[in-house]
Amino acid sequence: MHILGNIGKSSLLAASIFWIIILSDTFNWDMVPYIFISLIPIYVICALTILITICPIFWFLENDNYNKQRIFKTYFPIYTTLMFSLCAYSIYKISTDIVVLSFFISAYITTVQSWVWFTKEKVEIK
Amino acid sequence: MKHIIIIISSILFSTLFYNQQIGLNISIFSVLTVIILAVSNTHKFKNKTTLLYIFIYLLTAALVFIQYTNLSILANIIAFLTLIGSVTESKSSIYVQWYNGIYTSIVGYFHRKFIKQNIKDEDETQKKAIDILHITKLIGIPLIFIIGFIVLYKNGNPIFNDIISKINFDFINLQWLLFTVLGYYLFSNIFNPVQVDSATNIDLQTGNTLRKSETFSIEALKKEKQLGTILLLLLNILIVFYLATDIISLSTINSTHASVLSSQVHSGIYTLIASIIIAIIIILYFFRGDLNFFKDNRILKNLSYTWIFLNAVLVILIATKNYNYIASFGLTYKRIGVNIYLFLTLIGLITTLLKVSKVKNFWFLMRINTRIAFGFLILFSIIDWDYSITKYNINHAPLLDLNYLINLSDNNAVLLNEYRESTNLNTEQNNRIFTKHLDYIKTVNNRNWQEYTYSNLKLKVTAKKTISNAYSR
Repeated sequence: MHILGNIGKSSLLAASIFWIIILSDTFNWDMVPYIFISLIPIYVICALTILITICPIFWFLENDNYNKQRIFKTYFPIYTTLMFSLCAYSIYKISTDIVVLSFFISAYITTVQSWVWFTKEKVEIK
Repeated sequence: MKHIIIIISSILFSTLFYNQQIGLNISIFSVLTVIILAVSNTHKFKNKTTLLYIFIYLLTAALVFIQYTNLSILANIIAFLTLIGSVTESKSSIYVQWYNGIYTSIVGYFHRKFIKQNIKDEDETQKKAIDILHITKLIGIPLIFIIGFIVLYKNGNPIFNDIISKINFDFINLQWLLFTVLGYYLFSNIFNPVQVDSATNIDLQTGNTLRKSETFSIEALKKEKQLGTILLLLLNILIVFYLATDIISLSTINSTHASVLSSQVHSGIYTLIASIIIAIIIILYFFRGDLNFFKDNRILKNLSYTWIFLNAVLVILIATKNYNYIASFGLTYKRIGVNIYLFLTLIGLITTLLKVSKVKNFWFLMRINTRIAFGFLILFSIIDWDYSITKYNINHAPLLDLNYLINLSDNNAVLLNEYRESTNLNTEQNNRIFTKHLDYIKTVNNRNWQEYTYSNLKLKVTAKKTISNAYSR
C-alpha cells in the first residue's frame, strides 16, 4: 500500500475542494497565503483520517483469499454510507456556513476517492 | 452522448434549484430523472415493478406541486431512492432497494470508476493515468507559481498592486458552476445505477419460508415448547386482566378534561408500544426455527394467536380513547399520529399472525412490513394535513384551538382567512390570521417559476374572479 502517496494526493484533492468552495463565496488576494499554509493542517487531518479509518480495513482484512477488490466491494458501501451520514448530520447540526460546508464536502469526497486510489494500486484479480 | 445528456441535465439542475425553493422544480426534476433512467436503462423499463415505481415517483412529484407539504417532499425523496434501487435490481426487497438507491445517489460515480479500472487493461489504465497526471501538472503547477508570485509582487509595487486589486471575477458565478458540478455528479451517479453486491445477493438468495434444519433435538424442542406455552399462557391471562380493567375504566370515566383524556391515550400508547414489541419479539423467538415443524406445537400456536388477538383488542381500545379525545378537542398532528401508529401496529400484528400460520421467516416480516409502510407513506402524502386539520376543527371541534391552527403551515391560510371574515374573533387572533394570509399571498406572488405550486394557479384564478366581479359591478 502506497500510504504516503495516497495521503499526499488526498491532501491536495481535499485542499482543492475546500478552497474552491470557499473562494466561490468570497475571493480576496489576501487569502492566498492562507491557502498554502492550510495545506499543513489539511495534510495532518487527511493523514489521520486515512490512517485511522481506511488503512486498518486493508491491514486487517487483506490476505491471499481476500484481495483489495473484494474488500472494496464489501466494505466500501458501508464506509461511504456511514461517512455520508456523518458528514450530512454534522452539516445539519453544526451549521450550513460555507467553511463547515466545504470542510465536510471535501472530507467526504476525499475519503471516497482515497478508497478508489487504494484499490487501484495493484490490479490482480484472484 | 452520455456526457452530453448529463451536462444538459446538470445545467437544467442548476436552473431549477440554484437559489430556489421547492415547487415546480421537483416535478420537472422527477420527469428529467425518469428520462435519464429510461435512456440509460431502456431494457429495465419493461419490468412491471419498475413501471409501478415510476408511476409512484411521478405521483409524489405531482403531490409536491399540488400539496406542497413536508410529507409529500419526503415521499418524493423515498420514491426516488426506491425507483433507483428498482432499476438496479427489481427483484430485491424494498429496503435493499432503498440501500441501493442511497448508495447509487451518493457514490455511484466512484463505484463505476472502480469497476472500470478492473475491466480495462493495465496498459490502457496506466496510459490514461499518465495523461491525466500530465494535464494536471500542466495546469496546476504554473497556476500555483503564478498565484504565488502575484502575491509576492503585489507587496513590492503599488501600481502592480492597484491593477491586481482591480481584477474582478464577479462576472463568473462560481457558486452556480459548483452547483452545476453537483448536478453533474448526481446525474452521473444515477445514469447507470449500481448495487451493493453483498446485500443484494444475500437478499436475493434469502426466501420467505422457514426450512427445517437437518439435525435437531426433540428433547430440546419439547423444553422450549413448555417454556413458550407457560410464558404465553401467563401473558394472555395478564393481558385479559389488563383489558378488563381498561374497559371498566373507559366506561366509568366520563371526563371531558383534555388532561385526563390526554393522559389516558398517552399512557395507553406507551403500554401498547411495550406490549406489541415484546409480543412480536417473543413470538419471533419461539417460532424462529424448528418449533414451527414440531408436531405438538398446536397449543403454543393457539396461545400466540390469542395473544395477537388480545393485543389487537388493546389497539381498538386505545383507538376508542383517541377517538373520544379527537371528538372533544379536534384534530392535531399528535392525535393523527396516534391513529396512524395504531393502524400500523394492527398491520404488524396481522403480518406476525401470517408469519406464524404460514411458517415464514423474519425476512418475510421485514419485507412485507417495509412495503406496507412505504405504501402508507405515499397514501398519507396525498392528504394536505394542515388544510384537513383546519377544516375538520373549524367544522366539527367543540373547542377550537385557533392558536394551534395559526401556527400550522401556510397551507391553511386561505381557509383561516375565510373563517376570520365569517366570525367575530378577538383582535389578536384576527390580526395574526390577517398577517398570516397576507404573508402567504406575498410569498406565493414573489415565487419564481421554479418555485410555483398549485396555490399560484389558485391565487391567479381568485384574482381574476375578483377583477371580473369588480368590473361587473
